[in-house]
Amino acid sequence: MTGTFGEENLMRLRTVLAASAASIALSAAAQADGYRIGITQNNVGVDSYQTTYEQAFIAAAEADDGIEAVVLDAGGDVARQIAQIEDLIQQEVDAIIIWPTNGEAVIPAVRKAKKAGIPVIVTNSNIAEQGFDFIASFSGPNNITQGARAAEIMCDKFKDMGIAGEAQVVHITGQPGYTTAIERAKGFEDRLPEICPDVTVLDTQPGDWNREKAQTVMEAFLTKYDDIDGVYAGDDNMGVGALNAARAAGRDGIVFVGATNFAVGYEAMERGDYWGSIYQSPVDDAEAALQTAIDVLDGKDVPLLNYFDTPKITQDNMGDFTKPVF
Amino acid sequence: MATLTKKDIGGFLARQGILLAFALFMIGFTLANGRFLDPDNVMGVIRSSAILGVMALGVTFVVISGNLDLSVGSMMSFSTIVVLDLHDKLGPALAIPAMFAMTLALGAFIGFLVGYLRLNSLIVTLGMLSAIHGLTLTWSGGKNMDIADKAGTWFDVFGRGEVLGIPVPILMFLLLAVTLGTALAKTPFGRKIYAVGGNGTAATFSGIPRARVVFSCYLVSAFCVATAGLLQASRSMGSQNTVGQGLELEVLAAVILGGASLMGGSGTIFKTVIGVLILGFIQNGLLLVGLPFYVQYVVTWVIIILAVWLDIAAKRGRLWSPIA
Amino acid sequence: MTPGKLSTYLKNGAIWGFILLELIFFTVAGQFLSLSENAFMDAGNMLLLFKQSAPIGIIAMGMTIVMVNGNIDLSVGATYALSAVVLLDAMTWPVFGGLGDWVIPVACLLAVLTGTVLGAINGLIVWKTGVDAFIVTLGAMLGYRGLVFMYNGEQPTSHLNWTLVDFAEAQFLGLHTATWVLLLVTAAIWFLMNKTVHGRNAHAIGDNREAAVNAGIRVGPHMMINFMIIGALAALSAVVFYAETGSVNPNDGELYELWVITAVVLGGTKLSGGAGSIISTFGGVLAIQLLRKGLAHIGADTSTVNLVIGLILIAVLLLDRQLNVKGKEALKI
Repeated sequence: MTGTFGEENLMRLRTVLAASAASIALSAAAQADGYRIGITQNNVGVDSYQTTYEQAFIAAAEADDGIEAVVLDAGGDVARQIAQIEDLIQQEVDAIIIWPTNGEAVIPAVRKAKKAGIPVIVTNSNIAEQGFDFIASFSGPNNITQGARAAEIMCDKFKDMGIAGEAQVVHITGQPGYTTAIERAKGFEDRLPEICPDVTVLDTQPGDWNREKAQTVMEAFLTKYDDIDGVYAGDDNMGVGALNAARAAGRDGIVFVGATNFAVGYEAMERGDYWGSIYQSPVDDAEAALQTAIDVLDGKDVPLLNYFDTPKITQDNMGDFTKPVF
Repeated sequence: MATLTKKDIGGFLARQGILLAFALFMIGFTLANGRFLDPDNVMGVIRSSAILGVMALGVTFVVISGNLDLSVGSMMSFSTIVVLDLHDKLGPALAIPAMFAMTLALGAFIGFLVGYLRLNSLIVTLGMLSAIHGLTLTWSGGKNMDIADKAGTWFDVFGRGEVLGIPVPILMFLLLAVTLGTALAKTPFGRKIYAVGGNGTAATFSGIPRARVVFSCYLVSAFCVATAGLLQASRSMGSQNTVGQGLELEVLAAVILGGASLMGGSGTIFKTVIGVLILGFIQNGLLLVGLPFYVQYVVTWVIIILAVWLDIAAKRGRLWSPIA
Repeated sequence: MTPGKLSTYLKNGAIWGFILLELIFFTVAGQFLSLSENAFMDAGNMLLLFKQSAPIGIIAMGMTIVMVNGNIDLSVGATYALSAVVLLDAMTWPVFGGLGDWVIPVACLLAVLTGTVLGAINGLIVWKTGVDAFIVTLGAMLGYRGLVFMYNGEQPTSHLNWTLVDFAEAQFLGLHTATWVLLLVTAAIWFLMNKTVHGRNAHAIGDNREAAVNAGIRVGPHMMINFMIIGALAALSAVVFYAETGSVNPNDGELYELWVITAVVLGGTKLSGGAGSIISTFGGVLAIQLLRKGLAHIGADTSTVNLVIGLILIAVLLLDRQLNVKGKEALKI
């Protein structure tokens, strides 16, 4: 499962051929012992993380002869996602994996799947707690921990710079209402005053996971505040947008900390423009989701919250990590 | 002076209402926050309006010819992604003309459908909004596009460079505005566009090639979009596939605010520039006085309707519509 | 002025022909490409098709009237979102604390009322100022969206009421609640457009406004009523959809206006006004949802879906023009 990309592509090609041959020749027999798993993703193509996730998911599913994956994309539209869940229920798949567009709005649709006897695995970004009764498991990063770790990275850097007593920070969050965004913001805002009580958060605005929006938000922050020492962005895509704004305005010396280390974030760290982030691989994310679904179907004991680890990465230790592929 | 009638005042208000509103806003925001008229801030607003502005110039041509272009946002994403991708494959010197050629080809396709086949421009460009987005995703495989070696290229000069202390995006916006403004106001080509938009059928009878004029307007629009894509790509040196999403409506709002009628036949480049600046300064001013970004939506709504209303009220000589 | 009966039938038939084509294509292609064990034309799948068409379909009925009038409404997506916010938030208002589950019909009514008022504002502006409906509703699309954001910042508005969810998920005679609403709205609007004076006036105004005025039709109030109808229907669509989800993001409903207009145009309604059929709009709505479902069924990826939907829209326009080109060319002013 952890081969290089070339090998994976070859394997993918082979399994595509095998799968198409199989589906024509002996589809009924193949399906009798395998699992059919449906996934509805949030918004493929909106950023590299989601696109890489989809490719990794398809590759992992094709590498496993016992799995047939129905891969759908909601295009960010909650109505379309709910329709896709209904379609998957109607197709009687064995399990449904959901990457929610809205952590609350999908709850009734998830309940419908549970009523139909289909286990639901939530991936990447959790649904709201009211829905926990209806899911088999959540597979993804612990986003509260991620937010807390980002606060630690930033606080440690301020201490090194000797400005922990006066530093001022702005905070750019992900899409409002999206569970990952809420949890990362909460983790950061709870942890920062514990370790750096004298650092103030000047302002918090959403950047919607969008580099351009984050750049606009940061431009406004730079106009409003003369003294900004640190920026925490809910992911590196937004963090790099904020970095662009700061560079365009000629404001140097700002500590940028993000999450979900993107290739652009990694490169900016190499250049010394960007301080740190949280290392989270979409390939791990996708493979963990599929594995969780298989474990649930195999009847294994799966924890409700099935986290994979996402370590801190900064300019100091980035040599230990390979550059993200997305 | 004493004989200034109510009608004169009304007429003046209606004709210059947009400039007056602009002036009032500037004064209000300056009083609310002293930093508003700070040269740095003013420069910043114009710089961040430049990309929208460049697109609005092209759409002005299309609108004057009596058509719409809802595909410019999607097309701008395409240009941005393509030029970033080709930058690393062909080098900037080849990537830029290649991107312009491809964007112009899209413009030509739309121009052919609307100009020569006379299909409805709203639906055609709506369809192209979706289709071009699909094209962009196919091109990039859905991945963000980033220039690998950001330090070793001169490509960032368009978005980040300065000449004589003025940012290049502003210069390009001005240059295009002056060129296109002159073309529209002073050349036979410009007069034909007004003629076609004012009354397409009459224009055809008087020997003006309607199809070719409309086709050319979409080429101008595509050229402006390509320029905007270049500025965008060069400014951020990397991009998501959705970078231009939704810009088509902001662009249209700016053009309408500038007083171009959607029925065609009226509007000027100068007024579109004013429309763009109004939107930019309102956005900035509201942020400076501490209001969240979405307040500008409501303000824009009110201003657009007032501006257009006053404009047509002046033309018909009465405030309220004659509709029974 | 009106095209001949034959071409009208051709046009009305065209959308159903297109739907048939889609059904055949996706059924056949699905045999080879789909991982689903069920056929595309499976009864359960077709019932879902109707249900999933409801949010766009309900608004499309209103859009047809407005477009027959020669107007357009670009603000329906924002109206939809604002009505949804009112629906979900009203259920938590302390004023209604004593009502128990009776708060549900009250909240639904308030939501529809919100949509009606927003529509009335558009209609009144179009009537009194004479500004083109495209501009008025483009402005309102921004303005109403701003109001959605001002209501609750950028946070979603959520209230999950399981009684309401159960009602929305219920099936009566096999059809989902949303399907029933869509069918009832379609029937009501069909009746309005084909059997009443209001419907006759709508066509008359779209055909030739001057002549309609001369015939004594009060164009302004007529148009305002139509804007109120589409506002109410946008709100009803929100009620149907959010009853089942209980949470609205401030960006929800964006681009809905474009999908609605696409469906109406696919159904053969002219942007220039005058012509338009409710039944064909219904066909247009089904055709789009069928296209989406079908493309997902055969495993098309996001880029293909966007490309195909965009190009089909243009192709239909082209086809429509070819069908009508003879009758129109001769009559052009």
